[in-house]
Amino acid sequence: MTYQQLIFLFVNGLSQGMLLFIIASGLSLVFGVLRVINFAHGSIYMLGAFTAYSVSTLLTTESFFHYLILLLVVPPIIAIVGFFLETLLFRRVYTQEHLIQLLLTYALVLIIDDVVRVIWGGDFRNVARPDLLAGSVDLLGMALPTYNVFILIVGPIIAISLWFLLYRTRVGNIIRAAVTYPDTLGALGVNVSWVMTSTFMLGCWLAGLGGVLMASLANIDLGMGMEKIIESFAVVVIGGLGSIGGALLGSLIIGLGVTFFQLPFGRWALLFPYFIMALVLVVRPWGLFGKPER
Amino acid sequence: MSIIAPEPGIDMQNQLENTTAHKTNWVIGGIVLVLLVLLPFILQTQGRTGEFWIWVTTEMLITALFSMSLNLILGYGGMVSFGHAAYFGTGAYTVALLMKKAHWPLFLALPAAPIAAGIMAALIGWFCVRRIGLYFAILTLAFSQLLYMVVLQWYNFTGGDDGIHGIVRPEFLTPINYYLFCLAIFVLCFIFMRMIVNSSFGLTIRTIRENMERATFIGINVRRLQWINFIIAGAFAGIAGGLLAELNRFSQTEYLHWSRSAEPILASLVGGMYSLVGPAIGSAFLIFLKIILQQLHRSLVEVWAIILGCILLIMVLFLPDGLVGLYSRIFKKNVS
Amino acid sequence: MANDILVVDNLSKSFDGAPVFNNVSFSIAEGELSSIIGPNGAGKTTMFNLITGHLIPDEGRILFKGKNIAGMQPFDIVRLGMARAFQRTNIFPRMTVLENLVATIISKQRLTLNILTPFKSLKRIHQRSFEILESVGLADMAHRVSGTLAHGSQKILDIAVALALEPKLLLLDEPTAGMSPEERKQTVDLVADLWEKLNITMLFIEHDMDIVFGISQKIRVLCYKTILAEGTPDEISSNHKVIEAYLGEEV
Repeated sequence: MTYQQLIFLFVNGLSQGMLLFIIASGLSLVFGVLRVINFAHGSIYMLGAFTAYSVSTLLTTESFFHYLILLLVVPPIIAIVGFFLETLLFRRVYTQEHLIQLLLTYALVLIIDDVVRVIWGGDFRNVARPDLLAGSVDLLGMALPTYNVFILIVGPIIAISLWFLLYRTRVGNIIRAAVTYPDTLGALGVNVSWVMTSTFMLGCWLAGLGGVLMASLANIDLGMGMEKIIESFAVVVIGGLGSIGGALLGSLIIGLGVTFFQLPFGRWALLFPYFIMALVLVVRPWGLFGKPER
Repeated sequence: MSIIAPEPGIDMQNQLENTTAHKTNWVIGGIVLVLLVLLPFILQTQGRTGEFWIWVTTEMLITALFSMSLNLILGYGGMVSFGHAAYFGTGAYTVALLMKKAHWPLFLALPAAPIAAGIMAALIGWFCVRRIGLYFAILTLAFSQLLYMVVLQWYNFTGGDDGIHGIVRPEFLTPINYYLFCLAIFVLCFIFMRMIVNSSFGLTIRTIRENMERATFIGINVRRLQWINFIIAGAFAGIAGGLLAELNRFSQTEYLHWSRSAEPILASLVGGMYSLVGPAIGSAFLIFLKIILQQLHRSLVEVWAIILGCILLIMVLFLPDGLVGLYSRIFKKNVS
Repeated sequence: MANDILVVDNLSKSFDGAPVFNNVSFSIAEGELSSIIGPNGAGKTTMFNLITGHLIPDEGRILFKGKNIAGMQPFDIVRLGMARAFQRTNIFPRMTVLENLVATIISKQRLTLNILTPFKSLKRIHQRSFEILESVGLADMAHRVSGTLAHGSQKILDIAVALALEPKLLLLDEPTAGMSPEERKQTVDLVADLWEKLNITMLFIEHDMDIVFGISQKIRVLCYKTILAEGTPDEISSNHKVIEAYLGEEV
């Protein structure tokens, strides 16, 4: 394998990892604040991708401007869906046992996946890359797909923004406090249900963004939600639930791992997330960043 | 006589204190069994619709067994598994592969199904029980999806997308006889599960569900017992899968798909998680519902998953104790 | 010493870098009825969690009957003969009072893997369970679902469950927390009575100083991340370090 191929794979794997991070960080964030693992997070991401497809058919040209509209419009639509999910459904089960919460999100997987199938059908689809991002860029004498490079720029921006939001703003302080001391927040005069709703919306916004970005990276189909939710699970098993840094590391490991394992193993590389998950469970059952607990 | 006042639907064994209730249960069980034995002979007189219904009731028995197997870990063990289809599918593929590729007869291939499924459950469960609670649910789903993908990709061995077709049916197993065969296995499994649930092991599993921390501090090796329970549940699911493969005479990836894991969960919720028969009743109810919807309008079956999801939502939000719980709530039976 | 059933040797534990204990050492003689007191947040329950294996110490040894149990699994420690009752009631709420005990004895006798015999047919275990319930005064509630009992009775049941394990060492974490004065007295009498009858070692945490000084043979004061003082009730009540620590906390 040449040096160039290696770089090419590296960029490809990194962009896959960044995309996974955008989705998994939403899952992790929602868990941190709401203490609910949202099994429907992958379905929400899929909804985002298909919504992007539909919106793109309305925008006839492939200009970057139209793509920008896609990026700006679709994630908020998904966030609004999230608003309704949270206020109408999730809110009712916060005080219930885990079993009930898990089953609720599982019911949403059944519903959303089938709604997507009924509306869009089972065909492969994609959103054409905008002209500005369709070609390739020259880097060190290599032609790298502009779109992958674009994702490599968007991913860190999201990561830094999330970090800034969580650690440098008042809202972030509240969210982090909600993670650590869920009971005392109400006493401090913070509207806890508002924090929860907006966190859930943020999580859905991230899933929606992941969907839009994915729609132009590869073909989208009905299996994509399940695929990404399981990769996200692998990410949280590796990095620990509720940790943004852990989500970033886990995502990059999986993105790079799947890409590089494609060389020797072909399509079997898709099994990589499962193996790394099993490995982490054997070596450090509490996750790479977690602490041993009983 | 002390007042027995459990929460609705939780009263699993306490009823048995009361010997009259105990006897009534046996009488009802006997009547139901007689009816189930007679059923295909009645249906047979109905011509082609009768044949269809014999097939449906056979499938009901099989899915009822599948649901009951899940409930050993879900209701009795308090472990939410979203990947129970893995063991169902393992059973189905075991029967299909052994009969089709190794030309084993059914009576040898079928006993291999629970063994293979049990081994699979032991392998996967070993990882899953290392993390309890939320992570357990995540891992069961992930590993069942792993199995699904392996079967899908490994075309030479499993037939991938196409599945394995043309499983032989021994000649004496007419639809009626196969129904009776499944019924016999169902009853045997039921009796066996009842023994397990009422045994020391069953009580211990309940203590873990009730209070894992306390269970540890009365000296129970929680992880190990959960693992064993997981294996037992997987083995029973394997029997169900093997029976379905023979009924349909094929095995396909759909048997391993995550959506198949949803059905026993739903059946357990609908029928009531804290009883042995609850999930069986729940799954029979769901199949009935599916067929009724089919009769009403074909397109309703197209959105079956949406309907399942909505039922699940309603159950979760309003009736977490299931229909049995609803019954006791309405009639004020066993309500504290 | 040979007749020490529990020896805590140079135990250290910290959470996220903040030390809870620094080199704590003490030992408990066999047959002793003793208590641990200390201001809120001194780590009394944490100490119990370390002894019972719920937490793993950072450093140091815990010898139980001469065997180092630091880092062992909690259920293994239970099987060596240590039992524990909890501060918050910790029972199996949706099982009957009797089943709570039966399950415990089944675990004690290592019958948990028996999948063939109905647990209801284990006559001896049921008999034994009834005896224990009688000894703590819960026999007439045997068939009630335990979660429906009054709080005081649930705490007694928690103790009964611990007793069913026939422990050599019984740890009681605030046995009278949340009880009415009347229930308190009954519980204290019960504990003292059981201790005399059963000839076991008991160690308890308690906030009520009347109880502590009333029944303890020995008192250990846990404060400032270590054992501040140790001695008979008389010695402790005249120890000026203890008085200081307590006054400092309450002012």
